[in-house]
Amino acid sequence: MALLLWWLSGREKYALLAPAVPFVSLAGVFSAVLTCITGMLLSGGGEYDSSTVNWHMWMGIATTMVSAWLYSQIRSGQARRQIAYTVAGLLVLVSVTGHLGGSLTHGSDYLSSPFKEEGSGAGGVHVRRVAIADVQKALVYGEVIEPILADKCYGCHGAQKQKGKLRMDQPATLMTGGKHGVAIVAGRSDSSLLVKRLLLPKEDDHHMAPKEKPQLTKEEIALLSWWIDQGASFTARVGALAQPASVKPILSALQSSAAGGAAAASSGDDDEEAQAALMHNADIPGQPVEAAGAADLAALRAKGVLAEPVAVGSNYLAVNCVNARAVGDAFIDQLKPLRRQLVSLKLTRTAVTDAGLEKLAGFDALRRLDLDYTAVTDKGMGHLKGLEHLAILNLVGTNITGVGVSALKGLTGLKRVYLFRSKVDHAQWAGLQAGLKGVVLDSGGYEVPTLATDTQLVKVPGK
Amino acid sequence: MTQKELNDQRLVREAGEAIARQYTRRHFLRESAMGLGGLAMAALWGCHTGGPGTPQVVFDPAHPMMPKLPHFAGKAKSVIYLHMAGAPSQLELFDYKPELMKMDGQDCPQSLLAGKRFAFIRGVPKMMGPQAKFAQHGESRAWVSEHMPHLATIVDEISFLKAVTTDQFNHAPAQLLMHTGNARLGRPSIGSWVTYGLGSENQDLPGFVVLSSGGRTPDAGKSVWGSGFLPSVYQGVQCRSEGDPVLFLNDPAGMGRDLRKASIDAINKVNQESYEEYGDPEILSRISQYEMAYRMQTSVPEVMNISDEPAAVHEMYGSNPGKGSLANNILLARKLVEKGVRFVQIFDWGWDSHGTDSNLAIDVGFINKCRQVDKPMTALILDLKQRGLLDETLVIWGGEFGRTPMMENREGKPNPFKGRDHHTEAFTIWMAGGGIKKGAVYGETDEIGYSAISGKAEPFDVQATILHQLGFDHRQLTYDFQGRPFRLTDVKGHVIKEIIA
Repeated sequence: MALLLWWLSGREKYALLAPAVPFVSLAGVFSAVLTCITGMLLSGGGEYDSSTVNWHMWMGIATTMVSAWLYSQIRSGQARRQIAYTVAGLLVLVSVTGHLGGSLTHGSDYLSSPFKEEGSGAGGVHVRRVAIADVQKALVYGEVIEPILADKCYGCHGAQKQKGKLRMDQPATLMTGGKHGVAIVAGRSDSSLLVKRLLLPKEDDHHMAPKEKPQLTKEEIALLSWWIDQGASFTARVGALAQPASVKPILSALQSSAAGGAAAASSGDDDEEAQAALMHNADIPGQPVEAAGAADLAALRAKGVLAEPVAVGSNYLAVNCVNARAVGDAFIDQLKPLRRQLVSLKLTRTAVTDAGLEKLAGFDALRRLDLDYTAVTDKGMGHLKGLEHLAILNLVGTNITGVGVSALKGLTGLKRVYLFRSKVDHAQWAGLQAGLKGVVLDSGGYEVPTLATDTQLVKVPGK
Repeated sequence: MTQKELNDQRLVREAGEAIARQYTRRHFLRESAMGLGGLAMAALWGCHTGGPGTPQVVFDPAHPMMPKLPHFAGKAKSVIYLHMAGAPSQLELFDYKPELMKMDGQDCPQSLLAGKRFAFIRGVPKMMGPQAKFAQHGESRAWVSEHMPHLATIVDEISFLKAVTTDQFNHAPAQLLMHTGNARLGRPSIGSWVTYGLGSENQDLPGFVVLSSGGRTPDAGKSVWGSGFLPSVYQGVQCRSEGDPVLFLNDPAGMGRDLRKASIDAINKVNQESYEEYGDPEILSRISQYEMAYRMQTSVPEVMNISDEPAAVHEMYGSNPGKGSLANNILLARKLVEKGVRFVQIFDWGWDSHGTDSNLAIDVGFINKCRQVDKPMTALILDLKQRGLLDETLVIWGGEFGRTPMMENREGKPNPFKGRDHHTEAFTIWMAGGGIKKGAVYGETDEIGYSAISGKAEPFDVQATILHQLGFDHRQLTYDFQGRPFRLTDVKGHVIKEIIA
């Protein structure tokens, strides 16, 4: 503040500020002295890396001295040029001291870590989680436990800082413990202070990790407890240790082809797993399939047909002719290159006929076929024989009769057939349903009978 | 100088002025100072990366409504949202509270009033028991009152959320919260997010259509179907079921369709040249919208014309061609979805049953409103089902908040008619189709229907569920604005998995 005021007061416009400068400079000296005193007290706690503390301390003392010198220069009315040198030197000292102080408090990569990619731990060392090919062969400490500690603990209990005098990044010091005692009691996770603090409620002052820092997940806590119960070995492999049922799924989740996958699996909680399960759509085949040819898709799109994957990252396709109703049987030939990817085909109100249906042989992936308001007939239903995964068939507004419906018997995957406004004789309905057990035949024609009350207006009583 | 030369000179001067006007000192200063610095900062802080693996929506201004890919294969392909503006009373419809009947006429206990703010209730109101008879229906044994006899027959197709809560007790903020995820103006609505993320199937019709009935626009105004900070092409297009389907779409008298096409082509040619010169993507949107409007001139009247539907359909919905009503709008919703429109939003006004006049009385006007909506919405579900559309169409029905178990006493005096005040702590919404469970009930309120005791859902959760059924992870469908990624659910919302099949 003093430096700024001093610099400004050199300009004529701000000359009025000149009297303030000595006072503010003196205040600066006092605050520098106070800071040194409090810094000494804090460093006495011994929780910080001593070399950084040392540098910070001496830089701080130098800053205080130079600021006192600056004050004396201003008071004695020295030339601006001389003062300017002192000011520059003080600026440098303050920046360096401040930076060191920040490193002490927040970790040496506090400023740069947001610019690095994700995965940087909370300051200090971070050990990248390596993909574990076979979790049973993995080193329990080196590959399973240490990554957790590195990610969530080393920032405050590692090389740079040792909060509570606990240093966790070396096996010896990890087992020795810190200010509050031993952190790990081998074989007894319930007596281990490390686990106790992890399990404290988040609002508790002693809860680890501190609430503003990234928390450990349930899986990580379970792994740590299990490791401690098994004797907290630094050399054993996972396979050599007993694995209770609660820990097995977590361990196998660590085994994955990508480090990212491992991190995601072990850092997710129940909600994530449930979400993943929710996103699963049973209507889409589970096994992956190769992508359809780009030229084939482009040819379809050029006609105005919508031919899109069902989702990001999926190669299964849904084709919709809502914008290209002029397509006919020849169009199905164009779909042949997409045989293995086509999951849903909407031919509503197009010019497709039975001849086109004949060409659908071999479309194994097809799950839903919409033929509503087309000119298909019972003969065409016979052509659908080979589509063993076809689940939903929409025949609304077609000339299909009971004969056509019976022809669908061979379709083992069939679940629902929509027959509203078709030519199926309702008298045959029971017979047809019996012939197609497990298939819902929806005849439509639902009625919402008009009740007298529907059109009656309730009026104010007495009027 | 000849006249021609004079004209040419003037044209040249005008062109020069037009160009000069485009680029003032203000533009230059703004761009150079903030532009360079902004670029540097953005690169430094890794803006617009959204983290690894976040699927980014690609906005193509020339084809804004082309179908885009969801994050995963969702069950629903379209949405019909029936919003009863004013807030229907859940205590007279779906939330049966016999305990409340026992307290009918008694003074409201202080515990329910302490520390709470009500829109209009002042002092100590009286409790009011349910003003309708309830019965359980279907295999799901859902409680439905006598005011919805038609819906009672299809309870096994729908799922109820009985413990929806909100924190807004006024119409406009509550409607905005329900539809845009924030009680203040300025955010895009659900339909805008959906069409932004998913496009639409039918390229001749708007992707997001709004139909309004009841005599008034909802209190939140047109912002409740607005596009907020998303490209304006994703705003809801308001269609009307009476008169011109879309305002200002038809050609003026004396202008034929060919002439219109020629003039649009000419306009677009000029726009194209502008685009080549300035590179503003909004110009591409404008070009595509002119062409879309031209296509809509034929496609919209065709789909909005309900007079060619068979009599049986009109009988089913209770619709009446030519007269403009909620039933007509609901029938239109089915037709639009059948044609491949992505999001149809229906607003019906008149559900604000305060009891201040007969139209807003629980025992008069409210029952009439129920009768207006009961048959058409039941018909909608059954009609979608029989056409094979219900699996892929998500239908939602609800208001913006609920109504109090107490009778409203505005200014401390009893109202002329029976009514209830706005209530934020519990109300009911139902959802159907598009992968929603059949016949489920999620959420419970206490024995007088005052607060939600389990299975609470917030508007964000409803929004997250809608996006989920369409195939989106609501946390990942984002848009960068004002320096951070925004999403419909903003910082909250989780998918209500209990009602998902």
